[in-house]
Amino acid sequence: MVLSLGGISREMLAVAGRKGNQFISLDAMGQTISVALGLALGLGRRGPKDGSADKVIAIEGDGSLLMGLSVLSTVGHLKPAGLVVYVLDNGVYLATGGQPTASADIDLVAVAKGCNWSGARDVRTAGELAAATEWALTAEGPNLIRVHIGTAQLPAEYFLEDPAILAEDFRRWLRSRETTTAEPSGSADAVVSVPPPAKIPVRGVSNSKRKRILWLCIALSPHQRR
Amino acid sequence: MSGGSAVAEDKRETDQSILERRSEAIISGIEAIDPDHVLHLASSTLKIVLSHFIEGPGARPGRRVFAMPREEEGVAIAAGLELAGARPVLIFQDNGIGNLLTALLTLPQPYHLPLLAVVSRRGGLGEYNSMIHTISERTEALLDAAGIRWFQLDVRTPVERWAAEIKRAWAFARATHRPVFVLVNLMGS
Repeated sequence: MVLSLGGISREMLAVAGRKGNQFISLDAMGQTISVALGLALGLGRRGPKDGSADKVIAIEGDGSLLMGLSVLSTVGHLKPAGLVVYVLDNGVYLATGGQPTASADIDLVAVAKGCNWSGARDVRTAGELAAATEWALTAEGPNLIRVHIGTAQLPAEYFLEDPAILAEDFRRWLRSRETTTAEPSGSADAVVSVPPPAKIPVRGVSNSKRKRILWLCIALSPHQRR
Repeated sequence: MSGGSAVAEDKRETDQSILERRSEAIISGIEAIDPDHVLHLASSTLKIVLSHFIEGPGARPGRRVFAMPREEEGVAIAAGLELAGARPVLIFQDNGIGNLLTALLTLPQPYHLPLLAVVSRRGGLGEYNSMIHTISERTEALLDAAGIRWFQLDVRTPVERWAAEIKRAWAFARATHRPVFVLVNLMGS
């Protein structure tokens, strides 16, 4: 999982905790999907020794995506089957004060499809998100899910880890899953345990609760819990 | 044919010969690394090198060769490839250095990811573009300011040594856990 900078990383860490399967971008705005693309190409469909397939998930924001929009064409050209991209679209650069992005006038799903992605969907409810997650993690990729969200933020601390440690932790996790079928120590399930996405309630919840559901949906999807 | 034209023609042939010999040396150096991914960006001076990998013997099964729309996108893709244990090499020309600095200094450099870029020089003697020197002449200064390690291959290094130097640069990037650029002058200087 490749987490974009700012609130995306901080909120994921606040909800799901620090896990070995997270590659956290601390400042490389516009490059999240490119890193995930490189991972997906490098790993191919090779999974752990249990024979299951790899999925590389990028969690990107609309502002960062628009800084490196050309990557959509590169992904569509190379067609990595294991790539799934969530674009959390709140229409603003929230981390810097809420300046508007151009996303409100752009059909990012149409752009992805026009760039030859295997699939792309708009998502506006938790129920749609759960269904889209199930689809993206089982269908042949690359697939993009544009999640329309608000500007509510979860309380989250700044994350100030040394990037060299982040990279090494992630590589160790990759190596560990290639050499054993057992769940590695400090693995994806180690921090929190909640029901799978389909059982998460979707009505009568606050915006911040919806945001928390979003993170849990992504963090605890079956492929990520493996 | 006037004497001046003959001299000019001989000069063109010499430049072409130099271009071909240096291009073959670069190809040998990159092939010695045996990259599984070759990311490239358009460059007229790199045409022989790029052709080798795009449609020549270098376009072999098991190797992905593809264009990066922007240098910084290539840096980020290569960072992901390195994390995955792949062997990427970037090939582009030096007027794109300005594009990639932020990506380089927010991904492979601080994350200690090795990365090899073979970068062709433009803007020096023999240059035919009237303005490319404006950025290209500042390549070394930009890389120095960014703290990026680079090596230069030009007339001062016998072309017979180029392939080995490129391979050593690959090993050096791995040994020092950081991006390393090899600046190659294909234009005769």
